[in-house]
Amino acid sequence: MSEQFFRKQTFKIYLLILPLVLSNQISFGNDEVNYSGPGDDKNGYDSRDYTTNSLSLEDRKGKKADIIKYVTIKQLGLPELKIPQNNKITREKIELGKKLFFDRRLSLNNTMSCGMCHVPEQGFTNNEIKTAVGIEGRSNLRNTPTLLNVAFNKFLFHDAREFSLENQVWQPVLAHSEMAMPSFGFTIKKLELIPGYKKLFNEAFPGEGINMETFGKAVASYERSLISGNSDFDKWYFGGNKNAVDENVKKGFEVFSGKGGCVSCHTVGKNEALFFDNKLHNTGIGYAESMGILKKIKTKVQLAPGEYVEVDNKIIKSVNQQKKNNDLGLYTITENPEHRWLFKTPTLRNISLTAPYMHNGIFSTLDDVIKFYDEGGFKNELLSPMIKKLDLTQEEKNNLKIFLKSLVGDNINILIADALSTPVGDLTKDDPNWANDTDMGYDN
Amino acid sequence: MHLRKFGVSILGAVLLTISSVTVADETCMSPYMAKIVGQEDYVYVWTLGVEGLGDEQDKLVTIDVNPKSKTYAKVVSVLSVGGRNEAHHSGLSDDRHYLWAGGLDSNKIFIFDVHSNPRKPTLHKVITDFVEKTGGIVGPHTFYALPGRIMVSGLSNNKDNGGRTGLAEYNSKGEFIATHWLPTDGDLRGAKKEGKFADGYGYDIRVQPRRNVMLTSSFTGWSNYMMDFGQMLQDGEAMKRFGNTMVVWDLHTRKPKKVIDVPGAPLEIRCAWGANNNYCFTTTALTSKIWLIYEDDNGEWQGKAVADIGDASKVPLPVDISITADDQGLWVDTFMDGKARYFDISDPFNPVQKFEEQIGSQVNMISQSWDGKRAYFSTSLLGNWDKTGEADEQWVKLYAWDENELALTHKWTIDFYKEKLGRAHQMRFGAYSLYTSKQNKGKEVTMLDK
Repeated sequence: MSEQFFRKQTFKIYLLILPLVLSNQISFGNDEVNYSGPGDDKNGYDSRDYTTNSLSLEDRKGKKADIIKYVTIKQLGLPELKIPQNNKITREKIELGKKLFFDRRLSLNNTMSCGMCHVPEQGFTNNEIKTAVGIEGRSNLRNTPTLLNVAFNKFLFHDAREFSLENQVWQPVLAHSEMAMPSFGFTIKKLELIPGYKKLFNEAFPGEGINMETFGKAVASYERSLISGNSDFDKWYFGGNKNAVDENVKKGFEVFSGKGGCVSCHTVGKNEALFFDNKLHNTGIGYAESMGILKKIKTKVQLAPGEYVEVDNKIIKSVNQQKKNNDLGLYTITENPEHRWLFKTPTLRNISLTAPYMHNGIFSTLDDVIKFYDEGGFKNELLSPMIKKLDLTQEEKNNLKIFLKSLVGDNINILIADALSTPVGDLTKDDPNWANDTDMGYDN
Repeated sequence: MHLRKFGVSILGAVLLTISSVTVADETCMSPYMAKIVGQEDYVYVWTLGVEGLGDEQDKLVTIDVNPKSKTYAKVVSVLSVGGRNEAHHSGLSDDRHYLWAGGLDSNKIFIFDVHSNPRKPTLHKVITDFVEKTGGIVGPHTFYALPGRIMVSGLSNNKDNGGRTGLAEYNSKGEFIATHWLPTDGDLRGAKKEGKFADGYGYDIRVQPRRNVMLTSSFTGWSNYMMDFGQMLQDGEAMKRFGNTMVVWDLHTRKPKKVIDVPGAPLEIRCAWGANNNYCFTTTALTSKIWLIYEDDNGEWQGKAVADIGDASKVPLPVDISITADDQGLWVDTFMDGKARYFDISDPFNPVQKFEEQIGSQVNMISQSWDGKRAYFSTSLLGNWDKTGEADEQWVKLYAWDENELALTHKWTIDFYKEKLGRAHQMRFGAYSLYTSKQNKGKEVTMLDK
């Protein structure tokens, strides 16, 4: 099927169903199995009454879906997606990108893939650790951002260092602390030697094969398709369905857009809402961490469900190998002192799936986040003027949280199930590796 | 509650006879294996490569430990294996011809030939497709010999790098046989969830063949065991991801029968050797306790916390343990204070600490000889968990143990940093006596009669 033919067909479908979507008469999200949420649920672990709710890994099979429609068809509450002229979306690119996304062989020692940090059932982030852990356990300073609706970002990474998904894709692959592939060329050569990839690249990019651009385009196409709108909030606010949410959601939105002032950065438009402003702000968290304001003499460490001890930080320091680097946000990129501790506004869509929160994962729950903003952030000379003490009542805080929970897209289960249906790529005997006696071209 | 004591039935008599002849090792290894009851000739140290040190990669280090040798207490062989695989544990095949050693990170399994020339092991085979073959198990940890088999416990999985995992069964040639998933709430696989937890986590394996029982314990997933230790202790989310269970399995059918709550990361398992001692010990890394896993009067396996190890608020972190051949003593190493502690376990329900000594700034593994007179200690816990700065000592030390006087006497130290080797982790014994039918120069030999 040619790309042109495909584009015409999808446009016709779009015209046919657009009115239905806008009137909220059809849904993108229906599936019989709920895949959303961590397979190893630790909800309530702070209590001695905690009971496990762990899922079988064997049952994590997912269900394949035709997710290209999420790119080609506008979802309620979301703006129209702009797709780069030089990387038109196709099923072949999405499928190839998805396979690459979950392929652990795309790391130096075959252990890390994009999907090991952006875990689908954990909101395409990682609920289990505050900051990302890369190859050989190397520490990263920042919390893994969700990839849901990443296509709408003007800037990528918490510090806005990148501007297109196609370019962004390479950074984790080559970063020493993430996947640590030694070079573009070695990555491409390895892909050429892994059985199956040459054919898939040729199908997705006829006449181009495996190269720097096609690799970036393929993974970017998959990431671009992870679009999730049409939430209960959207159905009420943009779709006009008064029964889509309860009164607490509506009251929570009042706080959000009024007394709370959240909407200043997590913007909501007349016809759509990304819940971010494509800008960077200083909330004081980066400042406080850099200046050691958050440090205590002892750290509360959990030993078992409901069981904690206060551990002297000298003990913790004795096993802290990580080199201390302060995270200065946008300044890291520009070296402009005015840019210290500026971090990108994240989307709030699907926020209830993407804990822990903030650029460094400092807050475990939405309650923690709301409390932080209610108290006016951490004071510093560059603090955003929009961050100020709110004096919210407990009821207002509760409703604000309920509102935030209404922002889960209705196709989220389908996106997750589709991701889980993709086999994880692991080293086989047929793959390039010295222990498999594969000639990588270096043998004399 | 009392231990179930068994009369000597006909079946029991047969098993007892077998056990008295062949079931034993240097106190902590598979009962299906020949043991060295006299002087060991070599200690094989599975060693982690360190960035900036020597060739920076993992290696099997062979130390000559026979006092009669001219190269006594010297490194006599170094075999680099490529990469920093997070070298961790190793285990010998039932005939002790091969040493299987795993990489918790790379998931490679290195099979060394240690019998052709015990002084200079060679790399016989590398299993590279462990994760793919097992359907997603990550972190091959314990290599435990069963007849004609090696059972491998995993620590994690390739889906979320969390703690849910399984056991992988291989034959002695290194061919994959089957995956046995740990029971979860989603699929208990026929096991009874006795308490509140069925987390599906894994760590160690031990068996009591007389009781047709296999036990497994539970640690944590890749994200945690690969993470900087200090960072992890400050990460409230990460600290929720530790195992709180042990599983009782039917050894022969490989089916889980019961999940027992053992909160706080139960790690090493050591089973008693006595013919009527139907119990095993474990220690919990986080809650710092000794747990007894025992068969009660009704034939049910139970778990009970029976002693504290140091002060839990100081995170002593009990790591390796070693039971004496007569089931009367249990060594417990605590990583953070670098101490070896000796508990009297003559009453398994009431262990009493009798002795402690600081071995170094950090200590992890202990391997004692069958007669208990020699105790080897090593330092490294995990590549990113070891101490920093001057406290990051890396060595293997030999001590002589006098049980009557309760005294450890230092014999020698090999500094693994000075030798540009790396971080010293697990130690396994080798002896020429294992590979000859005759007793060799005073070395006592018991061969597995096949």
